[in-house]
Amino acid sequence: MNTSHRGITQDVIERAPPFTVDDSVSQLPSRWSDIDKWAGLEITGDGLHVRLTGSSKGTDEAAAVRADHPMPRECGIYYYETTIHSRGKEALIGIGFSARKVILNKLPGWEEHSWAYHSDDGYIFRCTPSGRDYGPRFANGDVIGCGVNFRTGSAFFTKNGVNLGTAFNDIGRDKPYYPSVGMKKAGDYLQVNFGDKPFVFDIDGMMRDEKAIIREEISKANTSTLHSPFDESALIQELIAQFLAHDGYVETAKAFAEEVRDESRLLKTNISQGVRGNDPEEDVDAIHRQQIRASILEGDIDQALKLTSAYYPSVLRDNENIYFKLRCRKFIEMIRTCSMLSSASTFPRKPAPNGFSRKGKNALPQEMDVDSHFSGDTDNWDSMDTEGSDTNAKYSSLTRETIEYGQELNSEFSSDPRREVQKALQDTFALIAYTDATQSNLASLLEVSGRVPVAEELNSAILVSLGKSSSAALERVYKQSEALVSELSNSGGAGAFINIREDILRDDPSR
Amino acid sequence: MSGSSRHQMITVNVQSASTMSAAKPLPHAFEKKVEDVKVSKSDINSVIMDYLINEGYPSAARKFAKEANIEATGDIESISERVEIRNAILAGDIQTAIEKINDFNPQVRRTATLAFAPVFQLVMIIPEFMHHSYSPLGVDEKLLLLQSSVLDTDPALHFSLLRLQLIELIRTCISPSSTSTSTPAPDITPVLNFASTQLAPRAPTSPTFLNDLEQTMALLIFPPDALSPTLSPLLDTQLRRDVATAVNQAMLVSLGQRREARIKSLVRVRAWAEAKAREGGTTGGGGAVVKLPERLSLGLDGEGKDGSGGVGGVGREGNGDLREGEPDAMVT
Repeated sequence: MNTSHRGITQDVIERAPPFTVDDSVSQLPSRWSDIDKWAGLEITGDGLHVRLTGSSKGTDEAAAVRADHPMPRECGIYYYETTIHSRGKEALIGIGFSARKVILNKLPGWEEHSWAYHSDDGYIFRCTPSGRDYGPRFANGDVIGCGVNFRTGSAFFTKNGVNLGTAFNDIGRDKPYYPSVGMKKAGDYLQVNFGDKPFVFDIDGMMRDEKAIIREEISKANTSTLHSPFDESALIQELIAQFLAHDGYVETAKAFAEEVRDESRLLKTNISQGVRGNDPEEDVDAIHRQQIRASILEGDIDQALKLTSAYYPSVLRDNENIYFKLRCRKFIEMIRTCSMLSSASTFPRKPAPNGFSRKGKNALPQEMDVDSHFSGDTDNWDSMDTEGSDTNAKYSSLTRETIEYGQELNSEFSSDPRREVQKALQDTFALIAYTDATQSNLASLLEVSGRVPVAEELNSAILVSLGKSSSAALERVYKQSEALVSELSNSGGAGAFINIREDILRDDPSR
Repeated sequence: MSGSSRHQMITVNVQSASTMSAAKPLPHAFEKKVEDVKVSKSDINSVIMDYLINEGYPSAARKFAKEANIEATGDIESISERVEIRNAILAGDIQTAIEKINDFNPQVRRTATLAFAPVFQLVMIIPEFMHHSYSPLGVDEKLLLLQSSVLDTDPALHFSLLRLQLIELIRTCISPSSTSTSTPAPDITPVLNFASTQLAPRAPTSPTFLNDLEQTMALLIFPPDALSPTLSPLLDTQLRRDVATAVNQAMLVSLGQRREARIKSLVRVRAWAEAKAREGGTTGGGGAVVKLPERLSLGLDGEGKDGSGGVGGVGREGNGDLREGEPDAMVT
């Protein structure tokens, strides 16, 4: 086994959407509590070892301890393991879980709201002192695991990696339960694994099986009610078409509508039934938005600013942060062009304005590197003349322009009190320090992919200014699904076994 | 969790106390959660591209790669072949579809005996007695070829295609245009021939096949405008769509690609999660902590925002219009 159970559990909890930041991100049990324990128990080894030092008096008397945090329901299945270290053959140990209020001078399982598997007889105890035959006895050296499946409300135990089967199936969701162990013989001690180390039992396999059950359920879900009377494929076509129109992918939207129409036409060949097949309406705004997006994606920020202020004058005024990002992006694009010019020339040239000069022989491999780095991104390349002197002239004039623009940008925003604005300015201006910033540790700022979020943000702002929703129906479907699944997992339900982003959006057929 | 939701409900109450009666459920706490979910544009874009390639919209896929500045993922080469096969099925030209499917087979394509492959698929279809005269290859080689065929590994899919071909033959026979006044009874000989040579030999291998064949042949008996509910779907073009979808999926699987587009799982998880959440915690499903609004609108065209759900018309294509977002009581 290469991953610990904690890995899975953490994944599940970390994917919880941002709205649960307050008190609802559950902490995992990480150690035995120093406080929530009966006297006579000694907690050592980072809280993972518990030993009974004193001797218990009466026959019913024992000493138990609970973990520092309850088992989080969001993880779907919670599992932990203990290794038994006892001196005699006849250990008297209970492994299980209990609610906060349960008294700790008894073995777990004997009291109400506690459940456990006991070593001396192999019985399981469900909130009562009379047990039920369940599994083998256990003693020194055995590894006993305890797991709770919150979806099914059941619990199981394992011995040395073997699942002993369902022990209880009525675990309520009404209160939190803590991992709990108890013992009766002085000198006995237990070592617990709350998931920091790999488990003996293949809990990942069990998780996979549970996930498979849920995925099977999902694959059979009835989607006809989502957008009645559309069936699933019609709904999906509608979602795709609406997304393309909404986000301003005009050409794609047209091509898609055409292909879908051709498909419908085929069906009509010898059938009289009429199927609607009209052109998608010419949406002037969609075309404008597409032009603006295309400009940004090509790196032509000036053009995008020009178009935006021409078609949607209020947008840049009302969304100052987007305006700022566009201005910064323009600076970045200028640096990008400078970098490409500087590495495009294989001729030795004058020192760059910052005094840093590269040797000609280094230029070649760097040029190749840059070339491959920007493969597929041909803007500014086509028009670029690689004649050395010409390039150098261009380079100097562009560098001068870039610095002037930077000064302008600085004077416009340097007094802005917002920390993120100052940070962005700082990062952006740092680029000027490099002759070839693509070779610097700030190279990521220059990536072409950085244009996409700016383009999307502007597009959303334009949509909002037009009184439209900032997100397409498809995005809404995704958001609703995430929120619903989060609800399902918070309540300890099936949602814990599905991660929309990983299992669906990024689903890989090879898995 | 319950703490946070309670807190949000109180906030809603305070902000919109004048418009909201105490008895009404508080839908906006959940809407707020929906709005707070972050979406990655690149994830959404890849879902779109995945759909266009998986379902076979090559022109849109190419345009989208350009407009969204992303790379087309998946096997672009296989698209045009899959589209041709799909289009043949949608047009009712099943013979062409079957031939193209056999041409498509990736394993067969890799062998040197490429030219024979389609012939052998036909041999497979044609009953035993034909088979000797058409067999220039040894049994073992032939088996090798047949085993690697998309249709041969899936007899149910093959049967459904042949049955569709039979239905198309019947459709031609019984359609009013083919029935001229001089010949009052349409000629059903081709139908009978096809059924007895292509489908009848397969029918005994599965009770479903037999039942399907019997039902299909019943189309010849009843008038097409008065079919029983079990028979009328056979003449509905939805059947062509269903078969085309199944064939596309089989071809994708044979290419080692995902059977279905991701967006299908997405809409299903949406439907599943809502159903689960509405079940509530009482049935052991672990329902929603926050009360859900009566209706969760997708924000598609034609949806009533008050839950009436009225839709103007049914069509396969959207007109691209966007319905405006729901007014949010949190924002006042």
